[in-house]
Amino acid sequence: MRARTRLRSVSFAAIASFAAIASRAAVVAAFLLVSVAACPTARAEEAAPIAIAHALVYGPGTRLPLVDATVVLAAGKIVSVGSSASMPPGAIVVDAHGKSITAGFIDADTDVGAVEVAMESGSNDTDARGLLLPALRMVDGYNPRSALIPIARSGGVTSVVVAPRAGALAGQSAFVDLAGDTQAEAVVRASLAQYARADEAEAQEVGTRGVLWMTLRQALDDARFYSTHKAQYDANATRTLGLRRMNLEALLPVLRGEQPLVVTVHRASDIETALRFGAEYKLKLVLRGASEAWLMADEIARAHVPVIIDPLEDLPEAFDRLRSRSDNAALLSAAGVSVVLSTFSSHEARLLWQRAGNAVRLGMDHDAAIRAVTEAPADAFGLKGYGRLEAGAVGNVVVWSGDPLQIGTRVEHVFVRGREQPLETRQTLLLNRYRTLPFGHDGTR
Amino acid sequence: MSNRLRTVLPALHAVFRALLPALAAPIVLVLGLPGLAALAAGCDPPRAGSTHARAPAALTTEPDPFAATESRARMPIEAEETRQATAVLVQHATVMTAAGQRYEPGYVLMSGGEIAGVGEGDGPAPPPGTLVVDGHGKFVTPGIVDPHSHMGVSPVPQTLGHDDLNELTDPITAGIRAEHSFWPEDAALERAVAGGVTTIGVLPGSGNLIGGRGVVIHLLPRLGARAMRFPGSPEILKMACGENPKRVYGEKSRAPSTRMGSVRALREAFTKARKYSHDWESWAARKQHPVKTANGSTDEAKPPDRDLALETLALVMRGDILVEWHCYQADDMLAALEVAGEFGFKVRAFHHALEAYKIRDVLVAHGVAIATWDDWWGFKMEAYDGIPENLALMTEAGGRAAVHSDSAVAGQILNQAAGKALAAGRAAGVKLDENDALRWLTANPAWVLGIDDQVGTLQAGKRADVVVWSEDPFSTYARAEQVYIDGRLIFDRGHFGAPWSDFELGVRAMPPLPPPPPLSPAGATP
Repeated sequence: MRARTRLRSVSFAAIASFAAIASRAAVVAAFLLVSVAACPTARAEEAAPIAIAHALVYGPGTRLPLVDATVVLAAGKIVSVGSSASMPPGAIVVDAHGKSITAGFIDADTDVGAVEVAMESGSNDTDARGLLLPALRMVDGYNPRSALIPIARSGGVTSVVVAPRAGALAGQSAFVDLAGDTQAEAVVRASLAQYARADEAEAQEVGTRGVLWMTLRQALDDARFYSTHKAQYDANATRTLGLRRMNLEALLPVLRGEQPLVVTVHRASDIETALRFGAEYKLKLVLRGASEAWLMADEIARAHVPVIIDPLEDLPEAFDRLRSRSDNAALLSAAGVSVVLSTFSSHEARLLWQRAGNAVRLGMDHDAAIRAVTEAPADAFGLKGYGRLEAGAVGNVVVWSGDPLQIGTRVEHVFVRGREQPLETRQTLLLNRYRTLPFGHDGTR
Repeated sequence: MSNRLRTVLPALHAVFRALLPALAAPIVLVLGLPGLAALAAGCDPPRAGSTHARAPAALTTEPDPFAATESRARMPIEAEETRQATAVLVQHATVMTAAGQRYEPGYVLMSGGEIAGVGEGDGPAPPPGTLVVDGHGKFVTPGIVDPHSHMGVSPVPQTLGHDDLNELTDPITAGIRAEHSFWPEDAALERAVAGGVTTIGVLPGSGNLIGGRGVVIHLLPRLGARAMRFPGSPEILKMACGENPKRVYGEKSRAPSTRMGSVRALREAFTKARKYSHDWESWAARKQHPVKTANGSTDEAKPPDRDLALETLALVMRGDILVEWHCYQADDMLAALEVAGEFGFKVRAFHHALEAYKIRDVLVAHGVAIATWDDWWGFKMEAYDGIPENLALMTEAGGRAAVHSDSAVAGQILNQAAGKALAAGRAAGVKLDENDALRWLTANPAWVLGIDDQVGTLQAGKRADVVVWSEDPFSTYARAEQVYIDGRLIFDRGHFGAPWSDFELGVRAMPPLPPPPPLSPAGATP
């Protein structure tokens, strides 16, 4: 592994120096040669375990990172996390002295793979039209070759939830690993959770909050009725239901409490309503947005409802979040709420570390902030084996040059399912092209 | 790409070669030879002040009531106190001046609203009555200047009632002023100060080709924009190229709906302004040298009708208004420079300028600064090629780069933006130090707004706009602990008073952090 890494950096240096003298075509050719040459090596290495040694390891269930620890990866999984003394024989050793290791970060609410350029509607698969779309599946539009994926990965994010955005019942999110050229490779869960929007903006779409909750109740009531009258429904012998069959079917796992319902709400009173709604239908609830959640922290903790928030949302942006405050995450965490931090973004998913760092700046424990982008999202969505550095977990691992949440720390290695991922992005290619200016002072090339 | 480019390149090359003399001309005009020499020597070109010193020919018969900058309205919070009463000495801190020095430990003495001293060690014996602040472990920097903000004109909460950002009734609204949209109760203002920001450039939105005049706001809580206007700040004009104006007006089936339509509209506007300017000049000349008519009476020439939009553009061509031009793409910036060259005005800064790195040599040659984000990208086509090394590459090329927010959220963590851009640049092998990154936040944006003679560095005689940080400001964990404006402590973390904004009265409780405050009582659910 070390040899390969060195080889790659040498190759990049060579490419950079070529760029100054060689034509573009020659550079492209050199690139192709390098990637072709690297492939067989990578395959050959898969058999041997990889030991990332002597690092500060943000391990499972520990408040403090393990010092001088080693993470061993093999066959796509984490084999062991422990003292550097116990190195498996035959392992390719990556010396991570002075570095730190975390589980790959999980951004629990993104548009990654669903949008390239937000304002170009053709490239944007987030603007669904409709009010009740529970059968919509984000996985069907997921593009594993999106230019955004390597960029998010270069920020230490190895998995994301691709969430639906539009509608009172918005549809089903997908959970994907940020690697693999096909949906078949990348997708971990094609249907992860169902989404409801119950904030002020959505209430405006239907008229009022009352109409919105009535609409949500009607949909769940219809689905519940359908679940016990399937035969009559198929025989066209039931009362008229507000949703089509596939939409009703899509709500059944939610009603059974198997699939979480992620509800976007901000105002404290809307959170109260959402909690009551969740209890009423015995749902597995997750709150999203939740600007005023700190006012309801005890209630949320008692209901064991995880909360997905952006720690930088501290502005009274709308009347349903007049009591937004910057320490929302810290207050919720201190009250025992399971806090999940997210960018709620596509292009900014790579900055999840900065969101977590800001949660720390604003009072959250460092350890809790790291868990809020690893364990907590995995737990909120029941993703066993994700978000943890422990034996048997999926081999999504990031090696950082220092404190993962600090400015200036670089992501040095990213492993997805045990396979090291390239850190090249469309942006590094642009940088390389323009690192030295090959043209004169008049804009000509 | 190569095939298409190969056919296009020679043509482009010829065009740019032909344009080169025209593009270079304004530099010589404005800077003169000493300016060019300074540029060649890698020094700062002359300051904004020199462009204001030109003798104004009569453009109007009456004084512009909005050109004055003296504060008139009362301050609600410290009504009686308008000047710094108590001298303040911050000691034992790491002092970063943004003028090249780092004093460890160092001191800053603020007195009479100005920086009275800065340097190594404990500083002079404080005069009696001086408030001494122990800065052990703290970092001290100049106040952050955010050169591109829409606070006040696009305030929070976002409401129909207070959305006053874009006057989308005509693509050229050069006669309007952001200060007349500015709502001083915007709850974002106080949060920006809590992020170490002391001055902001408030601009109209980018829906119009020429959006109108901006206003430089000194972040003191007052009741109106006039009273918050940064004393002595020059006039600034917001312009926009690229996607926004053509989208806004194209959707209305109006011109411009294309980039070529945008350039035509600009050229026509400046052509009219040139004539307008000429009309006033001939009127002034005739007034000075009246012509006797045939019957022996003097010619009672009436002044031209005043036109606020053309007046603004005429002042731009005269160099009295700084042009702040929203442009993302390299080709759009080159086209903008052509328009500026045709009408003989200078662009002070391209804002957003995500592709500045591609033409940084051109921008440097024209003395144009950029105001940009550290790493926002991709939200529209013209933002697709943004890279995190933009600020660093522009700086390496000898250009002037500033970090801006354009967002009330990003505006609270501008220090982190500079820190990230510094890290990205260093990783790309650009030689940068923390002074460079600090200048992205203070001295350079101050230049962009034409107030660099007053703020932006910790130097004796400048306004005492000072931030005391909990740790290195380029750390994720750094918090502004104290913020001084004109030597007065206006933000002190842990001592939250009533909110600045009347809107937030009764809404917000901000107890110190940590520990967490008592949370809401468990109410009975209905």
